[in-house]
Amino acid sequence: MENLDKQKITSDLLPAKFGKRGTIWVAILLAFCAIGLFAYVRQLTKGLIVTSMRDYVSWGIYISNFVFFVAISLVGSLITAIFRLNNVHWSTPLTRIAEIIAVSAITFAAIIIVVDMGRPDRFYNLFLHGRLQSPIIWDVIVITTYFFISLLLLYFPLLPDLQILIKFKDKTNRTLYRLYCFLGSFWKNTPQQINISAKALNILSITIIPVAFAIHTVTSWLFATTYRPGWDSTNFGAYFISGAFLVGAGAVLVAMYVFRKEYQLERYITEVHFDKMGKVVVMLALLYLYFNVNEFLVPAFKMKKPEEDHLKGLFNGEFAFVFWFAIITSMILPIIILLFKKGRKPFPAFVAGILVVIGSWFKRYIIVTPTLLHPFLPMYDVPQSYRHYFPSWEEWAIAIGSLAGALLIITIFARIFPIIPIQETIEEFEEKSDLSLKNKQNVS
Amino acid sequence: MMKRNIYLFWLILLLLITSAQISKGQSSKRELSVNLSYFNQNNSIQYLSAQTKTKVDGKFQNVAGIPITFYINSEIPNNLIGKAITNENGYAILFIPPAAQQIWKQNAKQTFLAVSASTPQFESNNASTEITKAKIVIDTGTDKTITATFLALNDSTWQPIKSIDMKLAIKRFDGDLDINETPTYTTDSLGQISGVYKRDNLPGDSKGNIVLVAKVEDNDQFGNLSSEKIVPWGTILKYNSQFDKRTLFARSGRAPIWLELIAYSIMISVWGIIIFLILQIRKVIKLGKNVG
Repeated sequence: MENLDKQKITSDLLPAKFGKRGTIWVAILLAFCAIGLFAYVRQLTKGLIVTSMRDYVSWGIYISNFVFFVAISLVGSLITAIFRLNNVHWSTPLTRIAEIIAVSAITFAAIIIVVDMGRPDRFYNLFLHGRLQSPIIWDVIVITTYFFISLLLLYFPLLPDLQILIKFKDKTNRTLYRLYCFLGSFWKNTPQQINISAKALNILSITIIPVAFAIHTVTSWLFATTYRPGWDSTNFGAYFISGAFLVGAGAVLVAMYVFRKEYQLERYITEVHFDKMGKVVVMLALLYLYFNVNEFLVPAFKMKKPEEDHLKGLFNGEFAFVFWFAIITSMILPIIILLFKKGRKPFPAFVAGILVVIGSWFKRYIIVTPTLLHPFLPMYDVPQSYRHYFPSWEEWAIAIGSLAGALLIITIFARIFPIIPIQETIEEFEEKSDLSLKNKQNVS
Repeated sequence: MMKRNIYLFWLILLLLITSAQISKGQSSKRELSVNLSYFNQNNSIQYLSAQTKTKVDGKFQNVAGIPITFYINSEIPNNLIGKAITNENGYAILFIPPAAQQIWKQNAKQTFLAVSASTPQFESNNASTEITKAKIVIDTGTDKTITATFLALNDSTWQPIKSIDMKLAIKRFDGDLDINETPTYTTDSLGQISGVYKRDNLPGDSKGNIVLVAKVEDNDQFGNLSSEKIVPWGTILKYNSQFDKRTLFARSGRAPIWLELIAYSIMISVWGIIIFLILQIRKVIKLGKNVG
């Protein structure tokens, strides 16, 4: 293990200005966001008719996007909470990446739901006249709760780093310095403060796990509490959660590679991290594949009449390409790549992560739309546009805009705050060097 | 001469072949059977029902889409009473129109005719039924006895008819329920039948009313007749409104207590933790200021 001193670690991990690539990246994201916003303004002024959603497909890619964002946000609880509680120290460099992915994803999950509403000005009715019996209300409550817990889980470990950022005033600009002071100038690293923070982190790590499970279980119940073929399944809670962990872990693999490359963090996000994270992704992919087998094989074996059209549409019909693409891309290929040690090297792991994320997005589309195109009562005497669904350019623009927005939050966060916890990394390196020194002394 | 005979022979042969082809083409049309029935509901609504069937592989199948023309007495334009097209079950229904009232009142016996139109698949066919006007009169007693009298019109007088099979039943949502274990009654010399209602505790409407029906089915002479009477022999159906009850499907503010307890206790405990942690941040801030 490389012996790095505190100053080296700090200078390596301090947030840096965007280079040329970073600026272009931000510009591209802003452009996508702007196009998305323009499309949304069109939707607001002309109504939901600009989308391809009609009487039957009333949930389209906005809801697929929502489920995708909720899924990806679960990584916060996995990396930060579960690994932290189990003293998995190798995950330390990944905790902040995971938390910021979680916060940005859950933010855009909430935003995309408002976008899906034809009349967002009536949003307040949800709170004034909401029914506690409705899974939608449960989802609103759980998403809000998870957002705040994720923010706290992001903030508490940031406090010691804020002190370092304030100390290195010359490495930053005036605006950011003011921000750091506002957020954490009170942090003096006293034993009482450290004690409070440690306890708070423990409480948060324990609390976030059931909330994270609740958020995705409740999201799955939006579908599973209906009778529709394809949704009427008792498997949905566990199926969604396992899928959520997989896509979150895949996203972390991607983020690890990108940050490592862009910020030259090879000493901190090492090949060991890719190896270990790769193994986690394989395990989660196998678990998700198991739930997929349960979800599709069992109804296919029974082939109940209402489910027959839906299942045939998925296996060898209208949605066959997307269905098999999602299964192969999000599960099969990543398992094959990551099962071997060579596949768990940084670049192949990054590719596997990309495949997981892309495949998972299409998997959410497969969950939402095909069921709606196979209603109980046959479609009769309706316009042709009701019988199929392909998103309009406005929907694509808004969906891509929301994805760009989430990436923008992550990018801006990486510019403002250290993407790897500085203080925790210093403590870990000091612990390791103390340990290696003791071992050397024992040997001599 | 010989040549002329040969030409004549070939011409005759050609004509024979052509006419055979034509008749073959004509005879490729299938046979259609038409059945005509007369219905009289409650002595007020009279209608005709024509059913079309065809034999396919030895089995009768209903035929849809056949135009049927209905006549009264004879198949002349003046006696045309209406047209209908058979539905997916092969039935064409025609309510006897007010315009036919005059001819309807002329005789106690009426003949109805149904003529199916010729279609590319089926030959035209017809059916007729001769009906003597009749009616059923229901009477009930306090001891839940039901007396139904079958009367037929003879010139201008109603006369009771013997040996007519009748049923006494209660009208339910999807069919008729016999009033007791006897499925069919036969009218006596007074044209009457009598039965006792034995379906105690049968749910009625909000006032406890049920609909009694006396009917004759598929009688060759009189057709299908029915007569109804509302009687207060059912149990009163109390509608328990669920509107204000606490159920999973009720309105806002009416969730089940167990759900409210679970949901609010979870929310209070989790948000209590969040508020506690926010207060811990305040404590950290205070500690920092003290050190500063």
